[in-house]
Amino acid sequence: MSVLEMTDVRKVYRSGDIDIVALDHATLQVEHGEIVALLGPSGSGKTTLLSIAGGLLTPTEGTVVVNGNDITDHDAKELTGFRRENIGFVFQSVNLVPFLNAEENLLVVDELGGGKGDKAAKARARGLLDELGLGHRAKNMPAQLSGGERQRVAIGRALFNNPKLVLFDEPTSALDTKIGAQVMELIHSEMKARDTAAIIVTHDRRMTEYADRTVEIVDGRLGAAGLQTAAH
Amino acid sequence: MFLAFHEMRRAKVRFGLLTGAVGLLVFLILFQQTLLTGLVNQFIGALKNQSGEVLVYNGQARKNLEGSIILAQQAAEIAAIDGVADAAPLGEATFTVTAGGDERDTVIFGYELGRTGAPTTLIEGRLPATDNEAVASEKDRADGYDIGDVVQVLPDGVQITVVGIARDINFSVAPVLFVDFATFESAKRTRNPDATTILPSAIAIHVADGASPEAVADAINAQVEGVQALTRQQAVDGAPGVKSVRDSFRVILALFYLVVPLVTGLFFLIVTFQKASALTLLRAIGAPAKLLVRGLLVQVVIVTALGSLVAFGLYAAALQGVKNLGVHVEVATSVYTSLVVLALALVTSLVAIRRVLRIDPIAATTGAGVHL
Repeated sequence: MSVLEMTDVRKVYRSGDIDIVALDHATLQVEHGEIVALLGPSGSGKTTLLSIAGGLLTPTEGTVVVNGNDITDHDAKELTGFRRENIGFVFQSVNLVPFLNAEENLLVVDELGGGKGDKAAKARARGLLDELGLGHRAKNMPAQLSGGERQRVAIGRALFNNPKLVLFDEPTSALDTKIGAQVMELIHSEMKARDTAAIIVTHDRRMTEYADRTVEIVDGRLGAAGLQTAAH
Repeated sequence: MFLAFHEMRRAKVRFGLLTGAVGLLVFLILFQQTLLTGLVNQFIGALKNQSGEVLVYNGQARKNLEGSIILAQQAAEIAAIDGVADAAPLGEATFTVTAGGDERDTVIFGYELGRTGAPTTLIEGRLPATDNEAVASEKDRADGYDIGDVVQVLPDGVQITVVGIARDINFSVAPVLFVDFATFESAKRTRNPDATTILPSAIAIHVADGASPEAVADAINAQVEGVQALTRQQAVDGAPGVKSVRDSFRVILALFYLVVPLVTGLFFLIVTFQKASALTLLRAIGAPAKLLVRGLLVQVVIVTALGSLVAFGLYAAALQGVKNLGVHVEVATSVYTSLVVLALALVTSLVAIRRVLRIDPIAATTGAGVHL
């Protein structure tokens, strides 16, 4: 069973009398532990696809099954719970809660799931931060962290709940090339170590070298699916 | 709660300033309310804190005790009304006296010992047991009205010894002595030695068990010619000057009750705007809207509760400085005020809550475009 099965998905926005097709009959499967780079120019529909895969948007047509759950017809409340339990997110720039320190930004996931931030949760947060090379920054506030460190904390938060699928939306776009490469290295090693599937949205072709497969998207249509890229 | 508490902990200055502002505003409400109560008590404390549940005035007195007399026949008719357990004469007049070595205007209330009309808020000493004894107001003790002090009605009139102290029994913003009716008569004769009969100003009524003061007052008004019967509360509310004082204060208080929740509501609306991107992120990673709303409400409750505590501390301290106004800490009123302010603050925070509920988690994918 695939982690993600998107079948014939369309997303249409209505603007006045005009229908804007953001995603056009997209079909995509992602297997356990597989890293897929979703490559496309701005406005190609890659973020729309990512949002539908992560339950942030609902498709106009088609079906979306994540980890065996058909979320196509989930309402907003069901999608909220689904995202919390099943998906890890790392966004482009808005990634950390500014009034929580690095450790608390991970623990917030436990809180959202009804946990109390107990010793086990704290130990897990500390363990993740150590693994990401941020153990010494656990008590630092986001404003005290560099861009690369903030993205690493965000990766820790995305992994906190052991999701089967993590979605990365342009995770290196706000970073310089060197730091961006380090973050991509980290993403690759963390996903592989956990056998966690990932979709990485990017418009930077250099980042595709960290993926198992690159899928290109242009004008809402997926192309070149299945293109194999040598794992880094 | 995790988010709400951490946010407050990390923004102590911001939330501290709001708490201080709420505290100052609630303090002003409490202080103004107490000033109003104190002022009204100085006008009509003697009526409010005497034992008559119904007071019967002359029909032409316009609820003014100073201008009221009750004829003997009217008194007899009043006593015969169903529901009247006791109908006792109550005399009231203002005299010039010497107290504490100075000449002062003093209101003397005369009631028949052991009957209706006695003061009900005795805090020290005892009620008069015989002629020429009096209960005075706590507020005036330092002015020659303390237990053991002797007050003399001028000129060369009866000498009255203070034997008890009661709280809030002033009248027309003057010191009051509650004496037996015979002493009241003596005082009146000092001023008018030729008077043949000293008529009571009003009749103080204790209603029978099971009878309501309102019904008894209505029955008296319907059956006795030339009188106006009022429940104690009606007599207090209708006393000259009380309504205008209350109305003036109520306008001021209403403004404060409006300002406090508006300040609170606006603060949380601004804070909600400022942390829009964080709230959007939280919604995107699976935070239920109700959890974020609950955090907001918890913050409103904490800020208002702490603000009320600050207000109560300021209020208790400030009242020490104005004890001579006859004001006291009113715990029940303070609690009630805090609860009203909290309820209003929660209502005004609905605007911020609406903003939180309108957050679309998809905005987390648009980066800088995050908005509410």
